[in-house]
Amino acid sequence: MSMKRTLAFEIGTEEIPAFDLKNATEKLPQIMAQAFEDVRIGHGDMEVYSTPRRMAVVVHEVEDATPEVNETFKGPSVAIAFDADGAPTKAASGFARGKGVDVDALEVREEGGVEYVFASRRIESKQTADLLPDLLLGVIGSLPWPKSMRWASYREAFSRPVRWIVALLGDEVVPVTFAGAVSGRHTEGHRVLSPQGADIASADGYVSAVRSLGIIPTEGERRSLIEERVRAIESELGAGFTAVLPEKTLTEVVNLSEVPTPMLAQFDEAFLAVPEEIIVDAMLMHQRYFPLYREGALTNRFIIVSNGDARFADNIIDGNQRVVAARLYDAKFFYEEDLKKPLADYVERLDEVVFQEKLGTMRAKTDRVCRLAERLCLDADADAALAGKVSRAARLAKADLVTNAVVEFTSVQGIMGSYYAEAAGEDADVARAIAEHYMPRFSGDEIPSNIVGQMVAIADKVDTVCGLFAIGQLPTGSSDPFALRRAALGVISILQSGLDISLERAIDDALRIYREDGLDFDQASVREAIIDFFVTRTKVMLKDGGSSPDAIDAVLAAGITEPVIIAERARALDAARKEASEAFLDLSTAYARANNLRDAEAGELYDASLFDAVESALADAVESARTKVAEALESGDYPTALDALASLRQPIDELFEATMIMDEDMTIRANRMKLLNAFVGVFADVADFGMLSSR
Amino acid sequence: MSRSETAPTFQEVIMRLQEFWASQGCVILQPYDNEVGAGTNAPATTLRALGPDTWRTAYVQGCRRPTDGRYGENPNRLQFYYQFQVLIKPSPDDIQEAYLASLRAIGIDTDAHDVRFVEDDWESPTLGAWGLGWEVWIDGMEVTQFTYFQQVGGFECSPVPVEIAYGLERLTMFVQGVDSVYDIVWAKGSDGVTFTYGDVYLENEREYSRYNFEVADTELLFKEFADREAECMRTLEAGLPLPAYDSVLKCCHTFNLLDARGVISATERMGYILRVRTLAKACCESYMEHVVGLPADADAKGGAR
Repeated sequence: MSMKRTLAFEIGTEEIPAFDLKNATEKLPQIMAQAFEDVRIGHGDMEVYSTPRRMAVVVHEVEDATPEVNETFKGPSVAIAFDADGAPTKAASGFARGKGVDVDALEVREEGGVEYVFASRRIESKQTADLLPDLLLGVIGSLPWPKSMRWASYREAFSRPVRWIVALLGDEVVPVTFAGAVSGRHTEGHRVLSPQGADIASADGYVSAVRSLGIIPTEGERRSLIEERVRAIESELGAGFTAVLPEKTLTEVVNLSEVPTPMLAQFDEAFLAVPEEIIVDAMLMHQRYFPLYREGALTNRFIIVSNGDARFADNIIDGNQRVVAARLYDAKFFYEEDLKKPLADYVERLDEVVFQEKLGTMRAKTDRVCRLAERLCLDADADAALAGKVSRAARLAKADLVTNAVVEFTSVQGIMGSYYAEAAGEDADVARAIAEHYMPRFSGDEIPSNIVGQMVAIADKVDTVCGLFAIGQLPTGSSDPFALRRAALGVISILQSGLDISLERAIDDALRIYREDGLDFDQASVREAIIDFFVTRTKVMLKDGGSSPDAIDAVLAAGITEPVIIAERARALDAARKEASEAFLDLSTAYARANNLRDAEAGELYDASLFDAVESALADAVESARTKVAEALESGDYPTALDALASLRQPIDELFEATMIMDEDMTIRANRMKLLNAFVGVFADVADFGMLSSR
Repeated sequence: MSRSETAPTFQEVIMRLQEFWASQGCVILQPYDNEVGAGTNAPATTLRALGPDTWRTAYVQGCRRPTDGRYGENPNRLQFYYQFQVLIKPSPDDIQEAYLASLRAIGIDTDAHDVRFVEDDWESPTLGAWGLGWEVWIDGMEVTQFTYFQQVGGFECSPVPVEIAYGLERLTMFVQGVDSVYDIVWAKGSDGVTFTYGDVYLENEREYSRYNFEVADTELLFKEFADREAECMRTLEAGLPLPAYDSVLKCCHTFNLLDARGVISATERMGYILRVRTLAKACCESYMEHVVGLPADADAKGGAR
């Protein structure tokens, strides 16, 4: 019975970037487990620890030695394994190679009256302590980093320099050297609270040693600690105060400290005159502070999370307050400077901002978006008042990109434009559209709240997608720098809200505008690629929304490319199927059968005088359904079209039951073919029922 | 505010940093006598970062950023300001501790403040250079850029230098506890006569902001850019990377002035940046060939990003 010991392994580093740390820490146990499995070291549970300056794994019940392995594999029969001269055949040598033994080492044994060759393999037991140095070195090298670096004269790379390594198997140090760091039993402490660090006697004492330094060694504990303390601050402040902790900022703050201490701070109330969004941007993005609200309104209080010694909270709070004051002073200064000119005056300066090298500046984009928005208004039969607002909003939508406030605080683009528009006396709908035309900004975000914003958003996004496709900058699996997928999904969600706009027409208009501006591209293939791109996005969106893939495919087979119609139909088809699954199953079976039997070449012009009663009934039903389907599709009532198709189920089933389609009489057979063509033809504009699965 | 009573003056901060880094074995240089946008751009950093030789230096560098001018009206922004630049190759293993000790040397009790290393990657497209590191925060204020250079001029840095660039005004504002750069105490005589940063530089900010934004002769600047570009190439043909690099710095500054004058459109901007990059890379190649003595094959040496 071999012994089991604990392994403690800590990689001590200079501060690792917060998100990279989080990601690597999640991967670390898998990498360690795989490394153990590769060399067959048995082990128990694993625990992972991390702070900005360390990543660690504790592996429990590590076997002291790998198991000795004795394996025997049965190979080909002797008749196959050796030729007439008794020399091993290719079959024998292949088998031996596959099992990692020499061909001469194959043994012959009888089994069930037949002689076979056998390969025996013996893997010696190895001491875990001998395997660990290479294993741990491999683990250090396997951690995934988006960016890694070298330092000093070492050739090894890591996220940031590795400064110490703790590697203990029980009470023994496992020797590991990486880029000058030599393993031992000493761990470094918190820079300020416990700079002396700690010597660790044995692996079982690793975690308590780190904790004794005051360090909180897991991301989860630091997160809970921050959240608890934030809640305490909220309640100390009194009723109505709530802090906003966006996930991204929280994750970052959690991984920017070894001992986080949330502290309450404030800024001069006079700065609340600056638009809230700038203040929040300054706090969250630049400083990683959490703003405090009272009954929904931003207050001059905020929470900082320090990694310092809490006894010096006054110092730390004072310093942070000065930084915020300086930032807000700048913000206020920029805001007031920007307000000195009406927003419209900034449009000219958009020629200083490149949209895309080949597609020109933001100024050129603005002109295109204005022209496209005008076309959208025509398409939607917008009245003059609405068209006027759309045109104005499109003109001003990007103007704030050259204002001081947005140059400094990029996340407030659009929002600042809206403030400046209001200040310049622009219409309220126009101002709101400027703020909202970037929406939806992320998956699940709202669409612009008014129709002006929706029109401008569509024009802006369609222009972006069409332009980048025209110059061949299509998104790839991993790279979508212009966020074209999000833009396309945004357009689709806005269209679905009920705007009566044809996407295909918008794409044609956008491409025409690019051509008029002198951009050279292959019209037909670019158009096709863009439409295909939107159709694919629609499919993805529908699947994510729970539509069944076969229903989507059945609808697409009818040649529909407008996302709104695809979505409506796929959903209606799913709904109808759910309501009358039996009928739909029969109908799609009958459709598939008819579609297989028919001869498309024969046409649909049947001779009714040749029909028997069953055939006549089907023919009548087909004609009636054809009319109903056409009417229903005309008025956009897809469910009724499906109902009309469903009414064909009985007559087609009866035909297949009562009649032998392949009649001996060729005239009758040909006439039946035409009837089947007519039947199938009714489906053509609705959906390809042959694609509906028979689940 | 009691902090300012005992706090070092601006010049004391500089002197103590010089003393500290001198004690770490650095060559204390005086500021480079050419316009630069950052201490990094001085040849003692850009060119000396290349090649295998050990190099340790520290120097104050006045930096010009014409577009940051605010006519002396903004307490935090200047078109001319000072950096304290440290470059050590190869990077020492205890460099973070040494840096923290340098903060203590200028009177910052690092135990009583929240000093943090916050991820900040550095990339200079014009120099074909990049590195990884942090911005250092003290109680939320960014006071230093800390970078391990990985590549310069398209060449892999081997060994790797570490660069520490202190923002001297920010740091002193923190140490002295003042809220406006112009209130920084620059010097204080034993008789109590005090000179502030404003006394020394406010007029400079006002005049240069006007000059940069309103007055500089753009025709002359366009011509200067072209002339300096030609001069750079000519100097390189003579195998003299150091004087050639001066022309790169002149081109950079001329471009920055043109930018401040608002006469370079966005499309043109990319073109100018590319022209400067071509010159900067050519200087680095020439330096590798003539000074370091290694084949100047940037692409083969440049590691993948």
